[in-house]
Amino acid sequence: MLQKNEIVLLLFSISIMLTLSRIVAEVGKKYHLPIVIGEILVGVILGPTVLGMIKPDWFELIFPPAGSVRIALDGITTLSVIMLLFVAGLEVQLPVVLEQGKLAFYTSVSSMIVPFATGFGVAWYFPEIFNLEDNSYHLLFSLFLGTALAISALPVIARTLMDLNIYKTKVGMIIMASAMFNDLAGWLMFSIILSKIENQDGRIKLWMSIVFTLLFGILMLTLIRKVINRVLPWIQTNFSWPGGVLAISFGLCFMSAAFTEYIGLHAILGAFLFGIALGDSVHMHERTREIIHQFVTNIFAPLFFVSIGLRVNFISNFDLTIVLVILVLAYAGKLIGASFGAWFGGMKSREAFAVGAGLNARGAMEIILGTLALSAGVITTPIFVALVVMALVTSLSSGIMMKAFLRP
Amino acid sequence: MIKNKPSYPFETIGVAIAFSPRLESIIVETHRLAKLFGAKVLFIHIGKNTKEKEKRLVTLLTKHNYYELNYQTIWAEGDTVDTVLSTCKQNIVDLLIFGALEKENLMRYYLGSISREICRKAKCSVLVLVKPSMTPKPFRSLLVNGIEHPKTVHTLNTALYFAKYEKSEKVAILKEIYLPALSMAIADENTEPEVEKIKQELVEEELKKLKTFVSDTDPSKLVTDIHCLVGKPGYTISQYSKEHKTDMLIMNSPDKNLNILDRIFTHDIEYVLAKLPCNLLIVHSRVNG
Repeated sequence: MLQKNEIVLLLFSISIMLTLSRIVAEVGKKYHLPIVIGEILVGVILGPTVLGMIKPDWFELIFPPAGSVRIALDGITTLSVIMLLFVAGLEVQLPVVLEQGKLAFYTSVSSMIVPFATGFGVAWYFPEIFNLEDNSYHLLFSLFLGTALAISALPVIARTLMDLNIYKTKVGMIIMASAMFNDLAGWLMFSIILSKIENQDGRIKLWMSIVFTLLFGILMLTLIRKVINRVLPWIQTNFSWPGGVLAISFGLCFMSAAFTEYIGLHAILGAFLFGIALGDSVHMHERTREIIHQFVTNIFAPLFFVSIGLRVNFISNFDLTIVLVILVLAYAGKLIGASFGAWFGGMKSREAFAVGAGLNARGAMEIILGTLALSAGVITTPIFVALVVMALVTSLSSGIMMKAFLRP
Repeated sequence: MIKNKPSYPFETIGVAIAFSPRLESIIVETHRLAKLFGAKVLFIHIGKNTKEKEKRLVTLLTKHNYYELNYQTIWAEGDTVDTVLSTCKQNIVDLLIFGALEKENLMRYYLGSISREICRKAKCSVLVLVKPSMTPKPFRSLLVNGIEHPKTVHTLNTALYFAKYEKSEKVAILKEIYLPALSMAIADENTEPEVEKIKQELVEEELKKLKTFVSDTDPSKLVTDIHCLVGKPGYTISQYSKEHKTDMLIMNSPDKNLNILDRIFTHDIEYVLAKLPCNLLIVHSRVNG
């Protein structure tokens, strides 16, 4: 039970995180900067990087490094990650991938394999670049880096496509379809890596993690998906709206997350796959979807992204070599992989490069992935900082590059 | 040469028959359509040619005045779907007619029933009659899928050809606008009016394009309604068709070979095939073979 002063402190810190991040994000919006940049910036200002350097006692007072308030804040962050993965899953529409046919298939697979191979290869053969202290994580780190470079960020991509007015075009739909595939494959792969890390005692072997993940994925995407599609109209008719649907959706999302965590997979997998299963239902009202997004994106996402800055000193952990290597790998892998896939599938070279540039945006998904990997101990803080920088740079440059490639 | 042959006029109508209880109503419906379009009729039965079957068919054809028409019967054996389709190809069938249940049982649907498989694989236009009648009525209300696709111009032209002969009172065209991940993309960066404006602009832009397309394709102004709706492709038009009680839904043929994955992760025409909202005309433009 929290003491009175701890409750005050907890509420005060949450209040600061939410209000400041929104104010900074709104200012950033005027300069067309993604909201996530504002949120991370607030974390950097309030965290060890700025406030912790100037007024360390203030920093420790508002955001205590240990104790009940810390535990409560960590709990909120965990909840935020689960909900962020849930809403990310809501937008993964596998039928879109199928609908786009061979072109989407080639682009998706190539935009996944090439960056993965690039990341894995460099981490495996040149681990010294990343100053890895713990050699026991060599394989897992290599797998992680490959996965981190392979995923894309659907929300940023959708936003960029809309800003460029190419959302409804063939190029736009191929980028969206491939990003959805990348997200699905990437998070499945990442949850296997996480489950392996969390089961270092050997209780669950790697092959078991793979089998469990695949089985759970197949079950969620087939049977459970169909059941949800059948049950949802009944819930929407008989329960109050939107409260009933929201409560049941989040309730089942947490249940699914709890189940995957219990069987030795990571909670994010359950939340993400439940999101896909629910989001695919034709009975899911657009308004319900919007309310879920508004709730998670505007309340829990800022808390999560600000908390990143609170944990890490971005200046002392900034390693230019690692940042540059990760940036080069990210651009090279995605641009070459996705563009080649799109070109091989039949697109003209300029359009294919635009697809590559579009899929290069990593955004919030990369940061979530990095945070989980940092918490699990697979990566060091300098690598995490490099991933955050890469996520922001690729998100900002994606639109500019696409525009250049699509210019007549 | 079947390749590049326009999807209309319907010079040869194929009818896949199975000697089911609905055979007679299919024969009656086909008679009306063949007479309307002045088409030759080709009855295709996959199965053994027995005297009983032949006698039943002749009796029905005589009963329903088929002497007025040019018709032929083909008896063949083999895989039903492949044999029906190859017969259609060999005989340059323009329109294949058959009856189908509104909804198949789950197992049959996923494994691929004959009628659904023909819809997925046919290289000519197909007309699926959900409730063939002994007293057939013209298709008065048509709904065309206005998807932005090179095939749609052929589909709309075929629909207009149909409407002209049928003297249809209502020819609606509906374009489904699918906006995946839009809610996520605009959840944190826009005000409520901005979000509404973004969506409205997207719909208006698509509606404008559709109106231009219709006015270019339909100089005789047979199209009576033009709509754009936000929703999942296939499902939205299917629901619209059901709610507006259209007589016939007209769609493009699928672009690729649809398989069980397309049924599990249902999309586009698979939503319609999962539960037929009304009679379905799938137009195969044959421009790409």
